[in-house]
Amino acid sequence: MAPELTPILDRRLVIVTGKGGTGKTTVAAALAVAAARQGRSVLIAEVGGQEQVPQFISPGHPPVGYAGSELIPGLTSIHIDPHEALAEYLGLQLRVRGLVDLVMRNKGFAQLLNAAPGWRELITLGKVWHLAQMQDAGRPRYELIVVDAPATGHGLTFLDVPRVVGNAVRAGPLRGHAHLVEELILDPEQTLLLPVALAEELPARETAELVQRAQSDIGIAIDRVVVNAVAPPPFPPGVPDDLDTRLHAIDDAVALGGLPRPSVLATCASYLRARHQLNAGYVEQIRRDCDRPLVILPYCPGGITGAGPLADFAEPILAAGGLPA
Amino acid sequence: MSVETFTDSAPKPASLPSDRLGDLLHERKILVVVGTGGVGKTTVAAALAVEAARRGQRVVALTIDPARRLCDALGIDPPSSDARGAVQSLSEAARTTLEIQGSGRLDTIMLDMKSTFDGLVQRFADDEKTRARILDNPIYQHVSDALAGSAEYAAMEKVHELSEGGQYDLIVVDTPPSQHALDFLEAPQRLVEFLDSRLVQLLVHPAMAAGRFGFKLFHRTSQRVLQIVERVSGVGFLEDISEFLLALEGMSEGFKDRATHVRRLLLGPTSAFLVVAGPSPQTARSAFEFLARMRGTGVPVEGVLMNRMRLWPDGESVPDGLSQGPVETADLDALAAALSAADAANPGDTELGDPRAAARSAVELAKRYASLVQQDERSASALRDQTERDRKLFARIPELPRDIHDLDGLVRIGDVLFRNLRLPSSQAGASDAGS
Repeated sequence: MAPELTPILDRRLVIVTGKGGTGKTTVAAALAVAAARQGRSVLIAEVGGQEQVPQFISPGHPPVGYAGSELIPGLTSIHIDPHEALAEYLGLQLRVRGLVDLVMRNKGFAQLLNAAPGWRELITLGKVWHLAQMQDAGRPRYELIVVDAPATGHGLTFLDVPRVVGNAVRAGPLRGHAHLVEELILDPEQTLLLPVALAEELPARETAELVQRAQSDIGIAIDRVVVNAVAPPPFPPGVPDDLDTRLHAIDDAVALGGLPRPSVLATCASYLRARHQLNAGYVEQIRRDCDRPLVILPYCPGGITGAGPLADFAEPILAAGGLPA
Repeated sequence: MSVETFTDSAPKPASLPSDRLGDLLHERKILVVVGTGGVGKTTVAAALAVEAARRGQRVVALTIDPARRLCDALGIDPPSSDARGAVQSLSEAARTTLEIQGSGRLDTIMLDMKSTFDGLVQRFADDEKTRARILDNPIYQHVSDALAGSAEYAAMEKVHELSEGGQYDLIVVDTPPSQHALDFLEAPQRLVEFLDSRLVQLLVHPAMAAGRFGFKLFHRTSQRVLQIVERVSGVGFLEDISEFLLALEGMSEGFKDRATHVRRLLLGPTSAFLVVAGPSPQTARSAFEFLARMRGTGVPVEGVLMNRMRLWPDGESVPDGLSQGPVETADLDALAAALSAADAANPGDTELGDPRAAARSAVELAKRYASLVQQDERSASALRDQTERDRKLFARIPELPRDIHDLDGLVRIGDVLFRNLRLPSSQAGASDAGS
């Protein structure tokens, strides 16, 4: 049974996840822009890798880094670097700058960090938690935080780390903090996981697994699944849907002036028809396997940049219940 | 050594450095396939492994998460099964279809993080008591399978085991999905540095002497650092880590040997790295950055395979008339007439309707496809130029009509990469959609 759709903009935290190449960052950026345009104060947090979000929203914008920067009115973008987050955390805990420097500049500690798994995920989510607590004049500084999570595979691991650390550590501040982060992630009123899939075999299967594991292993809420880059129907109404076959039937020697040969036209048409059918088939598979409302987003050659186009792109995501396929 | 050059601007899908790529399959022992997620890395790795086996090599493919249909096609168990970590051979049917003969062999291993680590402990722990202590340690239980990075360790470990075993001529490694192709390379080094680090030594030895942190050692700064960390992390955490490391200590020489050995292997003359990129601007850029970071590191990056390129059907470049300006009315009329004539000869099951509307739609689709071809070509061009400057190979794999998870698709990738075969245009879109 799919949970009821709460307006996505009423959440505190939306974690956008998906395999590399699904357009996850575009979806995260679009959602953040749309929310900001509706008057919310929004933060978009990019995690790991290279900073991309500012280039999607305001092409040419200088890197925002860990300090973050307001890209458009009401929308701040930050890039969470785990080392900076760790230094900030230690600073908050130890309250003495010198001690933090001593630790962070220690070569042995750097090597320990290089090898130790898990701390990047924990400290990153800890930073997100911390941002969610920030207040200005008694009101949350950020009403909505959109996280562009690491690609799936690492995506769920990313969310599981607070639980793992909370269990592995017996006592002390770290344990308490890990539990706070876990509480926020698991609160269905506040936090939503938004998977982004492609209508292709591997992403479709991985998304189904993600939805299933997110529910059974982690317990984070998922109320809709985004299927991105779905090819539109190739032929307009009135044009037969075997147009490619008909083009193939034309003698290739027929002169068409400046147009490509009939067989070339046929190949183009059948490519786009096959692509659409392939996508349509996997959209249905995702619908069956995920048992959630789907948000179908069109394939946009060349990508989407700029606040205006992104806000338009996000419309179907905001509409509760998504769009008909 | 011949280097493929691209002197003209027209796309040349049929002209590929096939010999050089083919030589890698014979001359190298380890082929590491890297690339960001979503570019079809697993499929390309499988196609390379199939090609080598068809050439009579004994091949093992290490993979992390193959598509179910690929498993079905190869006749191996899916990733969700108990077969993780085990060597699986091709089904007899797959061998026949792929025309693998004689000594040629293709085995597959799906990496399993937990059992890889357990296996290490079994092998290197001094005695039963140590073994049990490690396996029961809470840190170990979480570190070994739950946290990021363990896939890389597991892959490294498997490469070591297989290269020692000597049963295979070629190991093809499909690296774990990650944002950074570098993660795979850095994992062994991280492990060595970790075990070597003073802090680890400090954690281990006072524990041995005093049962908990004695802090009597000479590295004052490191002691101080540990005290500070302990203030934040809580006492139990460092004790558990310490005990875990203490238990690992007895094994660490074995670990270190392996990590060093694997790194030497991966950077040595018997290995080759191939970067798989996709035609989207982001994945192409990320491959470009990978090449830049690898320059001068000694990592034997041999080239870039550009997967899922949309190529113009007749192998030439997109005709100017299609990408610029409106289409001549006379040409549209000619196409409409040709459609009508073909319809008269063979009416088919559907109604042709207005032949001019159909002709307009056909031209519209050709334009749409042409812009996709040009877009992919733009993404590829910077990478192609860079590989040329670096004297590395560059090859394009056309997007095949559907997901390539059947044997036929793997063979066709091989045909394109190694035999300069272009897909006949009549096949390029004529298939049914996937289920």
